[in-house]
Amino acid sequence: MIKQTIWAGALAFAIALLPAAASARENPLVTTDWLEKNLTNAKVRVVEVSVEPGQFERGHIPGAQNIVWHTDLVDTVKRDIASQEKFQALLRKLGIDKDTTVVLYGDNNNWFAAWGAWIFSVYGLNDNVKLLDGGRKKWELEKRAFDNRVDAVKPSSITLTAAGTKLRARLGDVLDVVNKKSNATIVDIRSPEEFSGKIFAPPGSQELSVRAGHVPGALNVAWGRAVNPADGTFKSADELKKLYADAGIDGSKPLIVYCRIGERSSHTWFLLSKILGYDVRNYDGSWTEYGNSVGVPVTNLAGTVWGGK
Amino acid sequence: MTHPTAETGARPGSAPQSTAVPTRSSGHQGFAVAIATAIAVSLGTAAFSLYGSGEGAKLSLSIVFGAAFGFVLQRSRFCFFCMFRGWLDERDPRGLLGLLLALGVGMAGYALIYGAWLPDSSSGRLPPGAFIGPVSLVLIAAGLAFGAGMAISGSCVSAHLYRLGEGSPTAPFALIGTAIGMALGFLTWNALYTSVVVTAPVVWLPATLGYSGTLVIGFAVLAILAAALLRWKNPRLPDQPKSDSVLHSIFTARWPAWVGGLAIAGLGTVAYLRVAPLGVTAELGARSRQAADALGVLPTRLEGLDTLRGCVSAVSDALFTPNGLFVIALVLASFAAALVAGQFKPSPIRSSHVAKGLAGGVLLGWGAVTGLGCTVGTLLSGIMAGALSGWVFGAAVFIGIVVTLRGIRRSARSA
Repeated sequence: MIKQTIWAGALAFAIALLPAAASARENPLVTTDWLEKNLTNAKVRVVEVSVEPGQFERGHIPGAQNIVWHTDLVDTVKRDIASQEKFQALLRKLGIDKDTTVVLYGDNNNWFAAWGAWIFSVYGLNDNVKLLDGGRKKWELEKRAFDNRVDAVKPSSITLTAAGTKLRARLGDVLDVVNKKSNATIVDIRSPEEFSGKIFAPPGSQELSVRAGHVPGALNVAWGRAVNPADGTFKSADELKKLYADAGIDGSKPLIVYCRIGERSSHTWFLLSKILGYDVRNYDGSWTEYGNSVGVPVTNLAGTVWGGK
Repeated sequence: MTHPTAETGARPGSAPQSTAVPTRSSGHQGFAVAIATAIAVSLGTAAFSLYGSGEGAKLSLSIVFGAAFGFVLQRSRFCFFCMFRGWLDERDPRGLLGLLLALGVGMAGYALIYGAWLPDSSSGRLPPGAFIGPVSLVLIAAGLAFGAGMAISGSCVSAHLYRLGEGSPTAPFALIGTAIGMALGFLTWNALYTSVVVTAPVVWLPATLGYSGTLVIGFAVLAILAAALLRWKNPRLPDQPKSDSVLHSIFTARWPAWVGGLAIAGLGTVAYLRVAPLGVTAELGARSRQAADALGVLPTRLEGLDTLRGCVSAVSDALFTPNGLFVIALVLASFAAALVAGQFKPSPIRSSHVAKGLAGGVLLGWGAVTGLGCTVGTLLSGIMAGALSGWVFGAAVFIGIVVTLRGIRRSARSA
């Protein structure tokens, strides 16, 4: 009798877990509910990538590890993403292996978590990496627990391949599109004020450009239109499909997304590439490279000249 | 006449303030308690209504921590300058022993938090938000100026804030002077930064010594300092008066410095855990930066300042910031505490109050900007955090006080 009960219980438990595990493999997003049930799952590694320093340390999702985007994910001397060796060392330290499901989350609507996801994908871990839909904000709104202790993890021995080029656009790729040497749609995901050239960058940004405006031919769909403002979750796939189709983006042509430094555009890259399945590259040089380049064509609707007219 | 502690600086841990006001009508006392209760209820209501997720919790907790800090400062008269002077003039070690206790317990508190936040202290990363500043000649100059400002104006920035709540005639001018001095600090910042600060090492002791090593060495230094204080103390110091009533001990009699030290160490630890290290100059600095900017006297960019660790903050558009609410709650709570204890004694303003306050304040302000904090932010929170900058600033402040006091007294004698 007792044996039967245990078996029945185990079976029910396995069935309860099955759809969750299956959906996690297919869907690039995980829900807060799923994550809370999988916090002790050895094959899941939760990693916070937040903008605000001290956020992770004062309280994070229990068991989560931390990535500091401005030192861990970049080359700190030249402008580039983290090198293969550096990123590999980071993943080993975080105990991430080829078969680990990595769930990234962060503050500010997952901006930097999405940037992190893009770098995971560039290094060939596209199928491993997922975002917690709604990030910190939703977890907090739902009054789920935070912890301030950092669990020790067993380092992995993962070996990465060189960074791929299929998900990353460089200045030359963008110029080829502008000069009609290649066929792609460029999507500027900054605010309409930045796109039109009324302002150079959002208030408080230290890194600026010498020219205002946007890449000629780019379409403007501000990143924030893709999220539900209440909890920071992505809108449904159908809503997203319609939002971009209305702007003339239906996935029939390859896409290049950009913003100011490449991190907000990672958010749009994530949804276009991983939720809608379109062919998208992130141009991480973005406007701080393009708008500072000598001799490249610019569309400046507002006519702003170095802050004046 | 000015009141005894605020202006003449009674010995820390000595003469109970309550004896200075032995007779007060119960009507007056009832009125004082009613006002103090109203302040406490208002602060509590504000904290309660602000409480929410994220930033709301920080604002709310800032009110709670600020009020607690103001209450402790007023009740224990935790005045850095009075502690130093009590020792220099009377060889009374009690104030400084209270400070050493605060540093030691606070170091242990920070180490407990660090162990959870950054298990490996040698990773090359600094703990978030802790006040660990660059160590350079600029830091020493800042400490000397700050110490001189303390000696001239009669106390440091945090003590002027709680004395504002006691009705001190000097404090308002010292704080105005501080704001002016801060603007001067911002004006001189770019030259100091590019010539000195940019290459100065930021030394976080646990990065090389580990947490246990930092604690062992830190405790040893504190023990040596305490032993020296006790070795050369004045053997004939008046005893702390005994109080047989708990209420009287808490609300009327002056707390012994060691009680204040323990309370501040605990407060420093929980404030760092939940919001930010204790500090009183961030908001003041941001506001004076804003004002100087509006007058068009500041350079458009302050190099590196916003990237350094200390009690400085970037100008924000928000009406209320955590540090702003912390300081407001500090002043209100010390006012309430002083009222109940019968120590709220506004006195007529004389020109010497204005002159000393403004002159000392300018030095305090300049030192607080270039030293990235004051005796609370850089010295207290810095040493608790394991920052070498805290120790260096503390030593420079001490020298600044000694030299300036001697100078003032020599010129007074020769005049």
